Amino acid sequence: MRLVVRDVSVFHKNRLGIAHANFEANEGEIVGFIGADGAGKSSLIHAIAGVIACKGEIVFDNHTYRSCKEAEPLKARIGLMPQGIGLVLYDMLTVSEHLRFFADIHDLVQNEAFETYKTRLLQMAGLEKFQDRQAGKLSGGMMQKLSLICTLLHRPKLLLLDEPTTGVDPLSRIELWEILEEIRRSEGTICLISTAYMQEAAKMDKILLFDEQKIIAQGTSEALLQTVESLCYDPGTPCVEPCIKTLQTLYTLTPLASKSTQTPTLEALFFVNALKNDKTMPPIVLSDKEKSDFDGDVLMDAKGLTKRFGTFVANDNVDITLKKGEILGLLGANGAGKTTFIKMLLGLYPIDGGELRLLGKTIQTPQDRQALKASIGYVSQHFALYNDMSVQENLLYFASMRGLPSETAKERIKRYAQELGFENYLNALPPELPLGINQRFSLASALLHEPVILFLDEPTSGVDAIARAQFWELLKCLKEKWKIAILITTHYMSEAEFCDRVVLMRQGAKIADDTIEGFYAKHPQAHTFEEIFLEYFR
Amino acid sequence: MKLSVVKAYVLKELSEIVRSRLIIMVYLMPTMVLVLFGYGIRMEVTGARTLIIDYDQSHYSRLLIEKFAHSKYFTVQKELRLESEALDAIHRAQSDVVIIIPESFEKRLLHGQKIQIGVFVDTAFPMRGSTIESYVKGVVLNAASAIQERMLDRDAHTIAINQRTLFNQAMRDEDAIVPGLIGLVLLIAPAILAALLIVKEKEKGTIFNFYASALSKAEFIAAKLIPVFFLHSINIFILFLWATYWFDVPFRGSFWLYWIASELYLVISLSIGMLISIVTRTQIVAVVLTVIVTIIPGFLYSGILMPISSMVGFSRYEAHIFPVMYYNHILYDVFLVGEGLASAKTQLYLFILAFYGLFLMGLGSLILKKELR
Repeated sequence: MRLVVRDVSVFHKNRLGIAHANFEANEGEIVGFIGADGAGKSSLIHAIAGVIACKGEIVFDNHTYRSCKEAEPLKARIGLMPQGIGLVLYDMLTVSEHLRFFADIHDLVQNEAFETYKTRLLQMAGLEKFQDRQAGKLSGGMMQKLSLICTLLHRPKLLLLDEPTTGVDPLSRIELWEILEEIRRSEGTICLISTAYMQEAAKMDKILLFDEQKIIAQGTSEALLQTVESLCYDPGTPCVEPCIKTLQTLYTLTPLASKSTQTPTLEALFFVNALKNDKTMPPIVLSDKEKSDFDGDVLMDAKGLTKRFGTFVANDNVDITLKKGEILGLLGANGAGKTTFIKMLLGLYPIDGGELRLLGKTIQTPQDRQALKASIGYVSQHFALYNDMSVQENLLYFASMRGLPSETAKERIKRYAQELGFENYLNALPPELPLGINQRFSLASALLHEPVILFLDEPTSGVDAIARAQFWELLKCLKEKWKIAILITTHYMSEAEFCDRVVLMRQGAKIADDTIEGFYAKHPQAHTFEEIFLEYFR
Repeated sequence: MKLSVVKAYVLKELSEIVRSRLIIMVYLMPTMVLVLFGYGIRMEVTGARTLIIDYDQSHYSRLLIEKFAHSKYFTVQKELRLESEALDAIHRAQSDVVIIIPESFEKRLLHGQKIQIGVFVDTAFPMRGSTIESYVKGVVLNAASAIQERMLDRDAHTIAINQRTLFNQAMRDEDAIVPGLIGLVLLIAPAILAALLIVKEKEKGTIFNFYASALSKAEFIAAKLIPVFFLHSINIFILFLWATYWFDVPFRGSFWLYWIASELYLVISLSIGMLISIVTRTQIVAVVLTVIVTIIPGFLYSGILMPISSMVGFSRYEAHIFPVMYYNHILYDVFLVGEGLASAKTQLYLFILAFYGLFLMGLGSLILKKELR
């Protein structure tokens, strides 16, 4: 059994989904799709699953198809788990009802062999104890495991998983991979898995890298890394253009004479690809801020902050302090309470317990907050920009909302546009912008009033590797030049390394709080932050 | 079509409807609409506040006033006032009618001379105004013939009206409105539920279970529509009980005809819901669109407010396009007339309903796509 994808292009109405994709997969192989949001992974997965029509041809099990109708006879042998946590589950049905429902709609014979297989799946997913629980009441990780075993129930020979691990806690992520590993070995299933996490590439037999609706490279992880090995150098190395410098690495197209201590990651392929296509992003320079500093060292001090929604405790006695000129990373899985915490700091949710001091003042009334609004900047998870107003208009609006005189506002917008490199996009509408530019201009809108504290809620999720690297450079610049304090949440473990201090959260509670060096000192056997993170979840 | 697959889906839908408490809406909404509208719509006018100014103060003028006082359609307020004061009362919405009996009313009558009575009616609501106006005319005519009889001896041969009403003898509003409301409710409620069930899966993302599995389009449609069909079939009986026991609407036709026509009508409503769910993506849009598509024609062309036969031009064609008219004809027949299948028109309309249902269902399954868009 083989899957061959030949010159496949997918269009959503007039928008290109993926262009000219070619690859092959053999029985029992795990093929990984890696790339940022909107790079074309989902489009290709949907075409292979036969839920959207495509150009070109897909051959699976000697059957060729390009439209949904042609794919129909194969659907009993294909399993698709689309993107989104618990997307295919019905909140009101219990775990065992789901299994029965999925077995029934695939018209499976429910004999003893089926029961044995079902029990095995339930055990693998660790759900046998929760069979009577409704899906809406499962955690994100459990939902994903349930979705996976529901997809596996009819023993598909081709398994398509669209970002099954995004936003899932690290332990569940490992368990998901264990289930996959076992299934592909015992059933010989071809697995196509998309992910935004480069680290998961190690578990895949073959990797396809996606960027801007194209597959830019494919092969085994080792082979791909080999192609860029000689192109990665330490950030300090002198280099002639073209090259891209990030906080950790310098990428170039021509091998340099100096020695490199870098072990390249797959991210390097995206940088090299950008260099090859001459798509470097405009560099960032930041001038000094106009306002004077806040004097005092501790900018934010939360003691025992608690937030309840009914009987559910979203934040339980969380103590966090944030010092001047510090980047504090708030890490945890979806639903760990990161966003709730930031919303309490901002006053978007009332505080149910504990004490909050911002810039040395205790916050009790909304008036206290009002006085401090001018010192706080915030970028939300989904950039809160108005899509029908141009970038310039958006920024002017935010400035006037902050009570900035329009002369100052115009002058600052002009300066930020130059410094953050979105000058050419000032008259464009936000949906037309690349995600990375959108992110910069969201940040600019939060910086217009020159805050001393910046709260960033998952500003980098879904953004491509290059834009992410540059975003972190900008944050570092802000920290050094403006002495600004930054609280940032992220679910990319690799980004933790850029923070000065990291707080780990789990189920609403703080489980660890230390500097990066401190974490590595406590866990000397760990190589990456991901491994440290896992220690706390076991 | 594999029945076991459909059964699994239907069971899932039913347990979701029950667990999400949607079931309450399924049974509460039709009843609520029937009760609220059944009491809320009133066509006839009783107890119009009437101000009578009697400048004559004679025997005959009092006889005329008595006629008004004895009618259930009028409540006589005060009998002596200035004319300008009386008109002021209409302006301040304290009276609906002002009747002015001139001086020498009796004298002129006895001399066989022409007399004019002044009548002022508040016609801010034209329908109510014209109803009151015709009542006033009736009472005055009635009084006139009584007076004439008295003057010309007992056996005067004047024209007397001997009227009999048919089908709604008591001329009760309930009898006229409640059957029409059943036609409205059974168009809206099943359509909303059917639209919700499909769009809900689109909005949540569970529609992928249909797209990516071997489930056929027919199986999916059957799975979605069968639960709605059965749940609302019960409403056919519930609404019948409300109409006959609560609102005391007579039922003169065949119950079988009522039942079968209602089930056919239900299929039409379901198909409308299905068509809407194909073009919408979110539940809220689906509900709003269903309400617009069903309530407006349901009300306008049901014959509740206006008989279809009195419509002209475009509105008449429109009325024939929507299914409400055909079903309501059968409804009024089974409740008030009782002619049943003996009427060729009823036979034709039943056939049209069946055809309508099949057509919409076919159209829906044709344009429902098993693919992402």
